[in-house]
Amino acid sequence: MKIAIAALGVALSVTMPSAISHAQTKIGAIFDLTGGLNIYGIQQNNALNLAVERINAAGGVNGEPVAVIGYDAQSELSKYTQYANTAVLRDGIAAMFAGLTSSSREAIRPIFRKANIPYFYSSLYEGGACDKQTFVTGSSASQQLSVLMKWAVENYGKRIYIMAPDYNFGTISGHWIHEYAAQNGAEVVGEDYLALSVTDYAPTIQKIQAAKPDFVVALPVGANQTGFLEQFAAAGLKEDIGVVSTNYGSGNQQVVVSPAAGEGLIASMGYFPSVDSPANAEFIELWQAKYGNDTPIVAGAVDVWNAVHLWAAAANKAGSTDPDAVIAALESGLTFNAPNGNVTLEPGSHHLRQDIYIAEGDANHGFRIVQTYPGSAPTYENEKCDLIASPDTAEHFTPENE
Amino acid sequence: MSEKLFSSSGLIFPAIATLLAVALAGHIDPYLAFVATSWVIFGLLGLSLDIIWGRGGFLSLAQTAFYGLGGYLGSVVAINMAPTTGLTLVWALPAGAAFGALVAAALGYVIFFARMGDLQSTILSYTFTLLLWSVTQTFKLDVGAADIGGDNGLANIPGIVLGLGADSDALGPNAAFVTVVLLSASIYFVTRWLMRSNFGRIVDCIRIDIEKTELLGYDIRKYQVINFAYSGAVAGVAGALFGLWANYLNPSIFSVQEALLVPIYVLIGGLGTLAGPFLGAIGIGWLSFWLGGGTVGGQTTLILGAVLVLLVLFLQNGFLGAIGGFWKRFLPDPNDAARNTGAVKIDTAVLESILIDAERQAGPAKPLLTEDLLKRFGGVIPVNKVSRHFVEGKPHALIGPNGAGKSSFLKTCVGLYRPEGGTIRLGSDEIANVAVFDRVRRGLGVKNQKPQVFGELTVLDNLWTAAFARTRDDVRAREISQKVLGMLGLEAQSKVQADALSHGQQQWLDIGMVLCLAPRVVLLDEPAAGMTNEETRELSLLVRTLARHTTVVVVEHDMEFVRTLEGHVTVLHQGKLFAEGDIDSLRLNDAVLDIYLGRGEHV
Amino acid sequence: MEPDYLATVLLSSLSSASILLIATLGLAVVYGLMGVINLAHGEFLMVGAYSALTATQIGIPYVLAIPVAVMITMLIGGVVEVLVVRRLYGRLFDTMLATWGLGMVFNQGAVLLFGTVSPGIGMPQYSIRIGEFSLAAYPLAMIAVAAGTLAFVYLLLTRTVYGMKARASIQEPEMAQAIGIDSSRINMLTFAIGTGLAGFAGAVLLPIIPATPSMGLFFAVKGFLTVVVAGPVALTGTALTAVGLGGGASVTASFMTSVIGDVFFFLATALLLWLYPLGISSKWRRKL
Repeated sequence: MKIAIAALGVALSVTMPSAISHAQTKIGAIFDLTGGLNIYGIQQNNALNLAVERINAAGGVNGEPVAVIGYDAQSELSKYTQYANTAVLRDGIAAMFAGLTSSSREAIRPIFRKANIPYFYSSLYEGGACDKQTFVTGSSASQQLSVLMKWAVENYGKRIYIMAPDYNFGTISGHWIHEYAAQNGAEVVGEDYLALSVTDYAPTIQKIQAAKPDFVVALPVGANQTGFLEQFAAAGLKEDIGVVSTNYGSGNQQVVVSPAAGEGLIASMGYFPSVDSPANAEFIELWQAKYGNDTPIVAGAVDVWNAVHLWAAAANKAGSTDPDAVIAALESGLTFNAPNGNVTLEPGSHHLRQDIYIAEGDANHGFRIVQTYPGSAPTYENEKCDLIASPDTAEHFTPENE
Repeated sequence: MSEKLFSSSGLIFPAIATLLAVALAGHIDPYLAFVATSWVIFGLLGLSLDIIWGRGGFLSLAQTAFYGLGGYLGSVVAINMAPTTGLTLVWALPAGAAFGALVAAALGYVIFFARMGDLQSTILSYTFTLLLWSVTQTFKLDVGAADIGGDNGLANIPGIVLGLGADSDALGPNAAFVTVVLLSASIYFVTRWLMRSNFGRIVDCIRIDIEKTELLGYDIRKYQVINFAYSGAVAGVAGALFGLWANYLNPSIFSVQEALLVPIYVLIGGLGTLAGPFLGAIGIGWLSFWLGGGTVGGQTTLILGAVLVLLVLFLQNGFLGAIGGFWKRFLPDPNDAARNTGAVKIDTAVLESILIDAERQAGPAKPLLTEDLLKRFGGVIPVNKVSRHFVEGKPHALIGPNGAGKSSFLKTCVGLYRPEGGTIRLGSDEIANVAVFDRVRRGLGVKNQKPQVFGELTVLDNLWTAAFARTRDDVRAREISQKVLGMLGLEAQSKVQADALSHGQQQWLDIGMVLCLAPRVVLLDEPAAGMTNEETRELSLLVRTLARHTTVVVVEHDMEFVRTLEGHVTVLHQGKLFAEGDIDSLRLNDAVLDIYLGRGEHV
Repeated sequence: MEPDYLATVLLSSLSSASILLIATLGLAVVYGLMGVINLAHGEFLMVGAYSALTATQIGIPYVLAIPVAVMITMLIGGVVEVLVVRRLYGRLFDTMLATWGLGMVFNQGAVLLFGTVSPGIGMPQYSIRIGEFSLAAYPLAMIAVAAGTLAFVYLLLTRTVYGMKARASIQEPEMAQAIGIDSSRINMLTFAIGTGLAGFAGAVLLPIIPATPSMGLFFAVKGFLTVVVAGPVALTGTALTAVGLGGGASVTASFMTSVIGDVFFFLATALLLWLYPLGISSKWRRKL
């Protein structure tokens, strides 16, 4: 039975690229390349490889080329634990870029904390992750919602309905919507938290009609939940009730949703492909040269791109890949001219100060940017999390627990 | 030598593998030790399914539920105790095991006491897992230092800590691997011992033929629930270990994908082999880990799916099953003895002594009485207010044309059918609402039309299982079964598997099993079916001898056989009592002839 | 409670139940007539959706894209029956695992062929009004589609030579063989019809549930529970169960939350299995 293990040891050491030649800086990557979450994972992985290529073309990090040791987590949580430990125990990586879901981040964050390896999490999320080794380049829920709610109340009115998935991202977003509604003098007239497995949106649509809101904050997860938007439009509700979202488009839902349902929807995120800047033009050109232009680039991919570049800049600044030196460099107020505008890594919270865009769905499965909020701070994270003052913090702050 | 090695291969090879793993643990790369630890834990989870599926016959898709619940509770306890005491294993494992067992017992009570169908039981267990998955997404609870945070999970679970006291450190990957291997190996050996004990024998019988096991008087539901609880405990231990390994748990442990992985481990390793699930888990774990390491450019699930289909198609009994089958070809066939046997010859002297012993132990024969017994299926009434009194002395034969309701009447008396009205009395007990096994314990012995033997068990073990049901005493059960074996003249075949016997021999073995129960009323449903003339004569002799000591009711088609019984005959027609008397007077009865020949107004 | 709200809830719950029924019928036919649980059913639904989508993209009108999807899924289903399912008859759980593996292959195959996102075809922009409430018309049309599909399958099984043979094969297998019914051909056809129905569901539901590689998962889970709760009477049993469970969950979700709706679905399944250990239709006298 367990003889197999010994045999495997031999097999694995032969088949896995454990011995990469010296004078390279190795970084690890764990993304969901297969399984249900690959909508995001493939693009994140592509962005990582593209960024590494660009950095290597410019001479690498501290004069050494960067090599990627990549893993496919198969949308399975225990694979994250396995690969994260493999990367730490065997690969000798200088930094790790991994994860999409909050659970994948929470599963591996302590591993890199213990090993003292900088870990970059690059996805929009509910906010609040805080420890010395973790750096977040995606936008947090409060970061996006604070500007979105202001914009929506101004443009639509004061009656708000929340349609959100029934897990942490949804419920924490719900909390912030209540908070910003109060700040903007608006009220939440109804809310519905949907099971992740739901495919039947009729009940929600009836509840929305009964509540008569001015706009709905819709946070559908995955492509399945785009059915809600189709049904909402087909019922003829789009004319009178606005729909705004912080994650619509994060997985290219605008491609799936028909123009009839998608036109006029408002999304707020840290990146849209239609951002007009030289950095974005260069990024898109590189991307399309390598991966074609079949699928629009999602915000999560740009978040990974930014993470790799920030890490490279910090390592160059530190002059080594020694973790403490790199973390110190990362905490020196680094900025990067990113595809989505200038981003600044906040020293205390390890989150990004970045532009937040409000965009409107157009008739061609795309977005038109209607407003930019430059340099939006991760206010909640900055308030709760100060790793300069208390470097030993290892928390996941949530507003609900207060 | 080879045969001995084969029969104890489940002991020797796992022991060697364990020793090898422990010996090599210090030399393997820590990352591999870490990853392999999770494979062994998945193997333990697979073992928990093999206990209830491979042995118990019920494919439970709730194993990941017990695993997850055991993991959560074990981790919560460990988080709270570790800072002051260390020793996380001592806290987490019993908590996980107890919780897993408790939940499994509760679920098993619902499934087994409702007597659900196979697929329905599987689906209910699956539903249970799905239910947990949907409600845990937002389930938030703080238990002391442990924060269960919905989808964001339960973090900060300490590793495996063996030291005592607050400052003990968690084991490194290699030491943790050794610990998990040794723990899993001990659980495996305990399970193997349990499955080879009397309890395991009954569990096997339930899988092979659940109805027959109950007809021997075993309360099958209790065995099923206990076995399920044990499997839940093993799953709970695996879950607790997983929590300590991953240092993190989240509701995805209850997901559809996780639930379906477990049967795959078991099938690939070899269903019912107990050691197989470890092989399956290590194999699949290694394959998907290797594929995900970048070897195939992100086609992991494609290859995994294809491998699964091919394995199911071409490796029916899994790796261990295939190896075992191959090995067996080189061993002498114990079933050879079944091929060179003559006809069964009853030793009446031994039979008499068996029956006298039985009478001494179980008391005198009991009468069986039915009053206005009614059973209907929709518009069909196969038993229509039948009132009849059966006593010892002479055999009672129930005859009638096809569809007269003879078998239905018998099945209603046995309890396989629930009557809509009337009473059934066994001796002085009213038994119409008593469970089948309880009727057997009160003295009912039943032999159905088709021979019901446990094909995978040897002839002697079949008889022992029946004798043990009554005596609950290993030594006495062995005495009785040996005696009945002698009476049947099957001594030379005692080590032959029952399904290697001829049809007629299986009938005799089945009758022998009924005799082991020392029944006070014996119900025989077409016992002569498929027997040769010679065997039928022996059977007639046996039935007549039997009737002198107990009440005997025989349903029979074969008129010649009924004539040789020289007993009371009752004719049933369209569910009703039609005529009675002895066979010769009934043969002259025109009305009886009418219904048999399908003529006249009685049809 | 306003009457218009109540009417809306009832109507849309009926439509939810109909959607579940459409997605489940193929599974029910294969289980009822062959005793096989096809865990790749959700993936066949997905294949149907992608077939219809691709057909519309090359210019075939949507209405004609539906039969195209049915034909493609029937073809694939027939091949799968010959290559895999046929070799595993009588091994219920092995068939389940093999079809699950097949589902994984289909799923990843769809990612390779179509990428992770494809444009949806959108929902026809019609709605009806009940008092203060407006309802999308297309999901309501599914009530008629479900009734039509049910009637079609019923007629197929009762009025065609194939149907007679298929029913004979399950009700009197030995007799069917004795009178020369080629059960392996019948089974292949039955499986193909089952997968064709899945393809039909994927195609006809495309405006409601857009095509994605993993779209079938949750339909398959609920469909699977529905079929088993229904028991041996494939058509009427499944229809009744789908209305009870799917409609009940939708009504529950309307008055409470969708999570409670899900919990209702699972608890009702458990309760029904407890009350009817062999499925609700196990004691019915009708056979379809």
